[in-house]
Amino acid sequence: MKKRISFTLNGSRVFVTVDSHQCLLDVLRGPLRLTGTKEGCGEGECGACTVIVDDLAVNSCLYPAFEVEGKSVMTIEGLTGPKNKLDIIQEAFVTNGAIQCGFCTPGMILSTKALLDSNPEPSDEEIRDALSGNLCRCTGYVQIIEAVKQVAGRHKNKL
Amino acid sequence: MISYDYHQPQSLEEAFQLKQTIQGSLYISGGTDVMVRIKNREIHPRALISLRSIPKLSGVENGNVIRIGAMTTITDLIRDPVLCEHYPILIQAARKLGSVQIRNVATVGGNLCNCSPAADLAPPLLVLGAKVRLQGGRKSRDVPIDKFFQGPGESCLASDEIMTDVLIGSPEQNPKTIFLKKGRVKMDLAIASVAVLIETEGDRCLTARIAAGSVAPVPLRLSQVESLLEGARFSPKLLSDIQQLSSKSVSPITDVRSTKEYRRHIVGALIKRALEKLMGWSEA
Repeated sequence: MKKRISFTLNGSRVFVTVDSHQCLLDVLRGPLRLTGTKEGCGEGECGACTVIVDDLAVNSCLYPAFEVEGKSVMTIEGLTGPKNKLDIIQEAFVTNGAIQCGFCTPGMILSTKALLDSNPEPSDEEIRDALSGNLCRCTGYVQIIEAVKQVAGRHKNKL
Repeated sequence: MISYDYHQPQSLEEAFQLKQTIQGSLYISGGTDVMVRIKNREIHPRALISLRSIPKLSGVENGNVIRIGAMTTITDLIRDPVLCEHYPILIQAARKLGSVQIRNVATVGGNLCNCSPAADLAPPLLVLGAKVRLQGGRKSRDVPIDKFFQGPGESCLASDEIMTDVLIGSPEQNPKTIFLKKGRVKMDLAIASVAVLIETEGDRCLTARIAAGSVAPVPLRLSQVESLLEGARFSPKLLSDIQQLSSKSVSPITDVRSTKEYRRHIVGALIKRALEKLMGWSEA
């Protein structure tokens, strides 16, 4: 069963024909060629495939493609500004050494983005909770949390 | 290759019709359990019937009875101000369910209909005396939640029925409630979980409702433990007896998450700890 769906992807409207058994992750990495979103476990445990759908972080590996119709999706590719300028969260990850192999990074960054957009000044506990669905097998969690705290601080300075 | 059709009915009537017409079809809500079971080739549905597009199944309505639409996501449950104020035990459990990504799509009805002995929302709903509303065709019935679960993965839900609502009666006079969960890491399924609701007068326990998850084929009330507690005065000896009786009242299994011996031990310890916290004998 196929269906042509349309949704907003990183600010632009896209049309794509998808199969009924495909997940959002398959569609992003396949026909849409956005390979920044990673597949780790494929069953909602590791968070490597995290994207933002209508302001909420979700596991794209479990999100049926048909359900994306009419929604707004942000992937890691949508965070980078003109001339490949890094987003404030990406910069903080670089500055704090919060990246080792980098496989979990897109998911970590999108979970952080969803958290800070709804809660610009999270407590340490709230940061840990927001990232509890993202696994880093290099186990660089301390630096990752430091990076998030740094961005949260910058958000504070902006106000 | 795994392949299935995917239908998105806009009404319950349309959903019932699809289920009746397509053999081997399965209802799906948030999909955080069903999609994993399909990927692991544990189930092979010919078609999935998504309940996400049926508007009347989502949301929380506040009246004499609180009505929680079965398709309400765990995140929306946590954000509901009335539930946060009057049923903190349900919110405590919801916050401990999976990760943010899971809570953003997983639903109340999905958590219950999956019928896992570890369903996080089950113990609090058991002590709150909740009912679930099941609808099949034009017929609808309300089932007390302790009659809903019938075994691991099994419930009294008929194949043509959909859970539409969870119903909770008015909050009682200032009960003290707490939900405690023991898992290996934060987003894990429970090794054991307990929900405790008590009403007290001084150091005497007037009423007690205690439920536990992951320690029997179904999430269940521990009525023997409740009987021992009701009418008794709180003392270290009573709590020690409660702990022992709790451990004896359950029938856990050994699996990847824990041994049955540890589950038996931890459920008693959790119930004792819950009572200590509720009585202000230890930090909340």
